[in-house]
Amino acid sequence: MSQAAATAQAAFKIYGSGDGEVRALDGVTISFDKGKFTAIMGPSGSGKSTLMHCIAGLDSLTSGSVTIGGVDLSGLNDKALTKLRRDQVGFVFQAFNLIPTLSAEENIVLPLSLGGQTGDRAWIDKVIDTIGLRDRLDHRPSELSGGQQQRVAVARALASQPSVIFADEPTGNLDSKTGHEVLSFMRRAVTELGQTIVMVTHDAVAASYADRIVFLKDGKIAGEMTEPNPEKVLDYLKHLGE
Amino acid sequence: MLRLSLKMTLARKGRLFLTSLAIILGTGFLSGTFIFSDTLSKTFDRLFTDVFRDVDAYVRSSSFIEVQFGGEQRASVPIEALDTVLGVDGVKDATGDIQAFARIIGKDGKPLGSDNGPPTFGGIATASVAGLWSVEEGRLPSGEIEMMMDRATANNGDFVVGDVVRVNAQSGSREFTLVGIASYGEISSPGGATFALFDQPTASAFLLKPGYVDAFLVQGDGSLSEEELTARIDAALDSTLKLETLTGAQITEETTDQIGAVIGFLTTFLTIFSLIALGIGCFVIFNVFSITTAQRLRENALLRAIGANRKQVTTALLVEATIIGLLGSILGFLTGIALSRGLSALLAAFGVDIPTQGLSIEMRTVIITLVVGTLVTIVSAVFPALKAGRVPPLAALRDTAIENVGSNRKRFSIGIGVLVLGIVALVLAALGVNDWFLGLGVVAFFAGVLVIGPGVAKPVALGLGRPIEWWRGVTGAMARQNAARNPKRTARTAAPVLIGVALVTAFTAFAASVEKEIRDTIGDQFNGDYAISAPSNGFGGLPTTLSDEVAALPEVEQATGLGFATVTLDGEGRFVQVLNPATATGLVDLEMVLGDQTALTASGVIVSNNRATTEGWQLGDTLNVGLVDGTVKTLTIEGTFVPNGFFGSYVINRDLFADTNNTLFDTIIYVNIRDGVSDDDARTALATVSTDRGLGTLQSRQEFIDAQSGQINQILGLIYGLLALSIVIAVVGIVITLLLSVFERRREIGLLRAVGMTRSQVRTTVRWESVITSMFGAVVGVVLGIVMGLVLIVVLADDGLAAFSLPVSGTIVILVLSFIVGVLAAIYPAWKATRVDIMQSISTT
Repeated sequence: MSQAAATAQAAFKIYGSGDGEVRALDGVTISFDKGKFTAIMGPSGSGKSTLMHCIAGLDSLTSGSVTIGGVDLSGLNDKALTKLRRDQVGFVFQAFNLIPTLSAEENIVLPLSLGGQTGDRAWIDKVIDTIGLRDRLDHRPSELSGGQQQRVAVARALASQPSVIFADEPTGNLDSKTGHEVLSFMRRAVTELGQTIVMVTHDAVAASYADRIVFLKDGKIAGEMTEPNPEKVLDYLKHLGE
Repeated sequence: MLRLSLKMTLARKGRLFLTSLAIILGTGFLSGTFIFSDTLSKTFDRLFTDVFRDVDAYVRSSSFIEVQFGGEQRASVPIEALDTVLGVDGVKDATGDIQAFARIIGKDGKPLGSDNGPPTFGGIATASVAGLWSVEEGRLPSGEIEMMMDRATANNGDFVVGDVVRVNAQSGSREFTLVGIASYGEISSPGGATFALFDQPTASAFLLKPGYVDAFLVQGDGSLSEEELTARIDAALDSTLKLETLTGAQITEETTDQIGAVIGFLTTFLTIFSLIALGIGCFVIFNVFSITTAQRLRENALLRAIGANRKQVTTALLVEATIIGLLGSILGFLTGIALSRGLSALLAAFGVDIPTQGLSIEMRTVIITLVVGTLVTIVSAVFPALKAGRVPPLAALRDTAIENVGSNRKRFSIGIGVLVLGIVALVLAALGVNDWFLGLGVVAFFAGVLVIGPGVAKPVALGLGRPIEWWRGVTGAMARQNAARNPKRTARTAAPVLIGVALVTAFTAFAASVEKEIRDTIGDQFNGDYAISAPSNGFGGLPTTLSDEVAALPEVEQATGLGFATVTLDGEGRFVQVLNPATATGLVDLEMVLGDQTALTASGVIVSNNRATTEGWQLGDTLNVGLVDGTVKTLTIEGTFVPNGFFGSYVINRDLFADTNNTLFDTIIYVNIRDGVSDDDARTALATVSTDRGLGTLQSRQEFIDAQSGQINQILGLIYGLLALSIVIAVVGIVITLLLSVFERRREIGLLRAVGMTRSQVRTTVRWESVITSMFGAVVGVVLGIVMGLVLIVVLADDGLAAFSLPVSGTIVILVLSFIVGVLAAIYPAWKATRVDIMQSISTT
């Protein structure tokens, strides 16, 4: 049984109180396995982004606990949490992923540079070649297409060999062809390079790249699916909506 | 639309306040200056009206000499003429009046009153109703060992009736018995001055010359108007005496005008600095509006999309500017009241002691402050406002703030052109073509630099940032890139720092050169072991008998006195240096070109060779000299010397004044001590005739050189103080720009925090961006300032300033301070940057 890359135990995230109370997370217990590609799906307001933000250490739970790479996040101060994110977590956001004043290469090694490290050069070269960006390394983000920017973001997420990579709607702003390229690279990162990816998405096609899909509704886990394909997923979602 | 813009403006109160701060400080300085000078004027107006309240007619000599910037020296009036005045029908009583130099020595041995503050007077106390003083305690002085003093001085010095008081004046240092305390109507001490009062014969002998006074004060019996009385007295007086009579109203007005001229000069001086502060405020406002316009592109585009036309969008921004301007001006005016007190303290701290009573706030000050402040803000915002109006509605659909970040060819060439023009003007000014070119050249030079600023900002910022990147890694790299990514903004933010640093550096360079010049001059030309000096502010000094007393000491080998006098040369009022050739040589050595200093006769003059060349004078030519008392003589040019800042252009023999009725003081006495006498013995001996009697300051040669050359630093300190406000405004500008940049980049900051940048690293990035910006301004400013200082010195070269001394330590201090400023300005914005909500910044929904 492979060790969990990230877990949440009885996670609650509650805003407000009394009648105005909003339960973004209503008791979620979940575990993400190492070396697997997991997707989190659900309608708007299901809590999927909140779950990811909390597990990634970007937001705090009202109650419950979260671990990353075996480290419990509760009790960590901001500095320790930041360091954990830097060394153990990779991020790919839907947009605004890159620092406009840095080149593609500088963006890729950004978390490492922030930590004052150079990282594993062989690994980084491998990632760059896998992602196919060798000839674009000195370009600024403004000189790259949307798809290329997202690939740089994925490369950055991989570069520091984190325990887990969180992707929040990574193909949301891309056309289907480019989106497919990015998702393929993410797939290869997991299958060939042994990385762990957790992706939040509302797109059934994107979700079917994953090994496992977790469905959320109203802040609770509503179901799971393994070996997904787009039709199965769409079907399940329809059923979930009732 | 108006309501909308009002709402938009008030929605961001923090930003509103910070932006107005620039205007608040600038207008505060302006209104503070006006309030200060109005208060000064009022204090003196009141003073002189009181002084001459009971004076119906004022008789004085019509013979006087006026020197530019030196005021007026008037001849004395013979006391015998008083009988004539008393005999005139309609005169109730008349008395002699003296307002001459006298210094009262306190019980601790130190002179009362300040060296650079209100004057210290000696005068007459009389029973006559026409007199100015009345007895408050004790009685009037009678005889040559009795005196009175004014109430305030008696209080300050803890003097009571019966005390023995030492007083120094033109004739020497004497002791008197205090027999009474006097007051001036209701005023116990007019303008903070000190008054030592004697009976008329004693006053004349001690303060002026026996038998002479400065003027007659006349009170009529009420049967005639002032004008009629004046006319009668004038007719009765012997015309050979060259006397004139003024009405009480005339003398009051004349005195008030004279003071008014001095205050006017001071006001102009202060106003220039407040205009500099406002000018820098302009930059800040312009910068802020440019940035916010760019950031509100979407808002403005939305307005345009839903139907607002260009004018409405522009007007909205101008309304915002008006609000900021009005708000800032009102608060600035209130700040000005406090600042006027500050100005008073600042001047006093650097030796300019001016007493003020109360506070005079004229309507004119309020109006000017509000109008200027509001106009300045609106004018600064016009350009960005127009640009905002031109935004296409489609821009509402785009996502990021788009500011035209680059510079363009045309702008760069214009900038270079203006810069070159400025340099040409400066060179012309340096060559002596026209002094106005200096001012024009400076303005053009600055303008040129500011226009090409954005063009050079990028490479300079990148260059300055290199060491930081090398030292701080990726945070340094980002700071460097952030400073360079918007050259226009960086240049505009650095501009106020640039102007402030340039001005500070220019004055520092100028002062350093002046100090060096003085130091070298004194070093070359004065060869004594000790110097006894009095403050040389044109009024009073050391009695001329003192140098003889010093020379008579057994420890002294040689002593000579040096003074200044006001005379007319060929009809023009001039300051001339007065020395005693018999005792001067060896102690005071002019750099002679032609002739011999020792051979200067009583009817000779040594002139600067520059002046001689300009006027085409030769050895043996004659000049007509007119003394204050009306004496006219002929002087022969007996030599020429190389001028320096110290001697002026003319040197004459003290004996010229023998047997004349002129007030003469020495300002410095140089002393050579006999071989074998120890320093301690020498000092003690010299002190017995000088400082023990409160006469002058005793210093060794080195102490004297240091003190004299250091005087310029007092003025420099004052100028630093006046520029301080401009620097503060520049810093406020950096803070605002950084805050706006942080706000603009919140997405980026959120991303950085998410991928693992600690709060401390975020602060570092913001801090170094600020430092690079301020150092950009500082480095360019220092270069500019040194150039300006150099030109200033070259332009003034014919006044005797030839050396240029680069103030190395001063420059380093300025650069270090600019560095610190950059760090300090970043504190609040850096803190704000760490408060960025990661969640909000990275969310796309």
